Amino acid sequence: MADMRTVAAATMWVFTLGLIGFVPPGLAQQPDSAVSAEALKQLSIEQLMDLQVTSVSKRPERLSQTASAIQVITQQDIRRSGAASLAEALRLASNLQVAQLDSRQWAISARGFNGTAANKLLVLIDGRTVYTPLFSGVFWDVQELPLADIDRIEVISGPGATLWGANAVNGVINVITKDAKDTQGLLLSGGGGTEQHGFGTVRYGAALGSSLRARVYGRGFDRDATAFPSGQDAADDWHLEQGGFRMDWEASSASHATLQGDLYDGRIAQDSGGDIAVTGRNVIAKWSRTLSERSSLTAQLYYDRTHRDIPRLFGEDLDTYDAELQHSTRLGARHDLVWGLGYRNINDRTLVGADSTIAFLPTQVAREWFTGFVQDEIALVPNRLHVTLGTKIEHNDYTGFEIQPSGRVSWRLASSGLLWAAVSRALRTPSRIDRELFAPAKPPFLFSGGPNFHSEEELAYELGYRYRQGSLALSVATFYSRYHGLRSLEQVNPPNPVPLVIGNGQDGESYGGEVTAEYWLTSRWRVHAGYTELRVHVWPNPGSTDKSRGATESQAPDRQFLLQSWVDLPGHLGFAAGFRAIDDINHQLVPAYAELNATIIWQPTAHLDLSLVGQNLLHDQHREFGAAASPTRRDIQRGAYGAVAWRF
Amino acid sequence: MALLKITAALLLVCAARLGAQTAKASEAQVKAVFLFNFAQFVDWPPEAVPDSQAPLVIGILGEDPFGDFLDATVRGERRGSRPFAIRRYQRVGDIKGCDILFINRSAGDPEEILARLKNRPILTVSDAERFAERGGMIRFVTDRGRIRLQINPVSAEAAHLTISSKLLRVAEVITPPGR
Repeated sequence: MADMRTVAAATMWVFTLGLIGFVPPGLAQQPDSAVSAEALKQLSIEQLMDLQVTSVSKRPERLSQTASAIQVITQQDIRRSGAASLAEALRLASNLQVAQLDSRQWAISARGFNGTAANKLLVLIDGRTVYTPLFSGVFWDVQELPLADIDRIEVISGPGATLWGANAVNGVINVITKDAKDTQGLLLSGGGGTEQHGFGTVRYGAALGSSLRARVYGRGFDRDATAFPSGQDAADDWHLEQGGFRMDWEASSASHATLQGDLYDGRIAQDSGGDIAVTGRNVIAKWSRTLSERSSLTAQLYYDRTHRDIPRLFGEDLDTYDAELQHSTRLGARHDLVWGLGYRNINDRTLVGADSTIAFLPTQVAREWFTGFVQDEIALVPNRLHVTLGTKIEHNDYTGFEIQPSGRVSWRLASSGLLWAAVSRALRTPSRIDRELFAPAKPPFLFSGGPNFHSEEELAYELGYRYRQGSLALSVATFYSRYHGLRSLEQVNPPNPVPLVIGNGQDGESYGGEVTAEYWLTSRWRVHAGYTELRVHVWPNPGSTDKSRGATESQAPDRQFLLQSWVDLPGHLGFAAGFRAIDDINHQLVPAYAELNATIIWQPTAHLDLSLVGQNLLHDQHREFGAAASPTRRDIQRGAYGAVAWRF
Repeated sequence: MALLKITAALLLVCAARLGAQTAKASEAQVKAVFLFNFAQFVDWPPEAVPDSQAPLVIGILGEDPFGDFLDATVRGERRGSRPFAIRRYQRVGDIKGCDILFINRSAGDPEEILARLKNRPILTVSDAERFAERGGMIRFVTDRGRIRLQINPVSAEAAHLTISSKLLRVAEVITPPGR
């Protein structure tokens, strides 16, 4: 009898579970609108706060909680800084080393290893990678976009390779532009001055349906030349014209699609040899969908084309095709899993003219990258102690499979603080310059790329603390990194100084700390301070003939200090000032310097902004980067400009 | 006995399903219900209430993220003798007789909007970044799938609004110093 009962109970159990398990999805998962207002109104405030909610994109808010050294530059920060280009706006992040070389070239990096061809930073604009596979660095002159369209810039110092991928050795810059629904109506802006000769932007945004919004823009600028140390004009003035669009489609409450693109054309004057010509275009398609309250899927495709012709040096045409897929899902109560796949294909064609001084050989290459990553955030004690483990696996045509794992711990303290620690392995995989660069352009070569150049390896240890309470936000990040197989120049027949070949003959280490604090003195006055202390040591391995001790690989100051102040004054006036003090650059004869930018903004109505901007006010001209006695050395001059923005 | 157990189990499983059902509320829906609830926790100065029958207006500035859910939430509801009404505004200049204002991120720079609303007896609510620090009264913060509140009581006071301690107790209080 007992057996019968057990069997009957078991059968009923199976039946019951089966019944419930097989409820058609349409019935089990009511659409969101089916949650009745009546049911929610029965809940207390506390219960409402305890309710799990779904939203289409959770990532931006989650990012600020990740265990890494992140700083965020907002649209308002940019506007008040008076920055006229993306590179200038990046000066607002104190965890970056930013130096301007001349009217168009910048050296930007994080945690050292800076240079004109700095190669350990990943830069993304709306998910599009903008570093060049030529040397893994960024041509900052063509990374232009209407600054008013930027929603925010996330700047992460330290390895981000696991989630972000190749080249995120020492940092990630992630530029995110506004949704088209946030740029509706007409915007006319323009202005001019001494260094920014003239600039103007027209942007128009409209609804193309109840759920489809779009914007188009056109802009152009003309920038003055920098100066030689003598004060004489350096004749590197330039101009660029650009246009683009973005469409955002809220296909449903759970899915979002974006299509966007830009094209540009610019001319940069040189002292001799004729103008540099730059042109390019790109198009990005993105789609994201919330599959359930526990999982979401994102897919992205982009195409990017750049053309650059530097007379007497080299010319290049580059096509990039990229596809990415990312899925995040919550497993059980404790696991937040993100995994993704990516594929990139480049077709790079360099030109060797009769008067070229360098050559990339073979001149034309097609390369492929396959990537996969998986990362699991485990809530050991939910909302308190989280551990994140992940790895990236990449296959490239130079070195085959590469693995970049990382482990992170974040511990939320009761006092609004977050303590975090991370260990990461990151790689700087070879780019064309490491293996395929030859000089002069025809044999016999005095300099050649290393046929066996392999990835540079970093092992990074980080420890940080973030605190936010009321009007104070504080962040401290410290790091120690070891590098193996850093790029070196090896003598082929020592002691003969030439020919040289590129090798992996150097090791190194770096350590330091980044401190930032933001404080609201009053509700109208905000102050932001940032201080970074940094040491980089590079040494030759046994057998290496490179005795430069890193002089060609890392040119960064030991310390820098930034102070920004924003204050709202009566009468719709705002005043912002940005002070920076940068120590001398190691391996260069660039002295320490301090500079000041200041902006006055007047908004007589919500539709009109008038601003007056002073840049580099403390000196007539100053030097930020470059060899001391070089005839190409340029100084950055004091500048002032006025601007008007009219929205309606 | 077995039948009892089975019935209990069935009930439990059904209850769990129902629980899961409520848990599927969208962020916008929960925010809509919060907006409605705020009316119960805030006192407006007498000059802001033209008469005891005047509707209590919940306004939305910029794009409406709630669809018709906010309308459904307040349908037939009253605060004391005042019925509720929902109004949608495209620009700050249009705002008249509003008691609770939800400022969508798409409406523009919150600081500009707040400057133009200066000290009018309107409970300002938004999910914009640092809204409470920048002079807004209540900010929705979505954190690990839950909605938290940040409240700046100084801003509310400046507009002669009184926020109940019951609401303040469950929120993170943001107080810019020097005021």
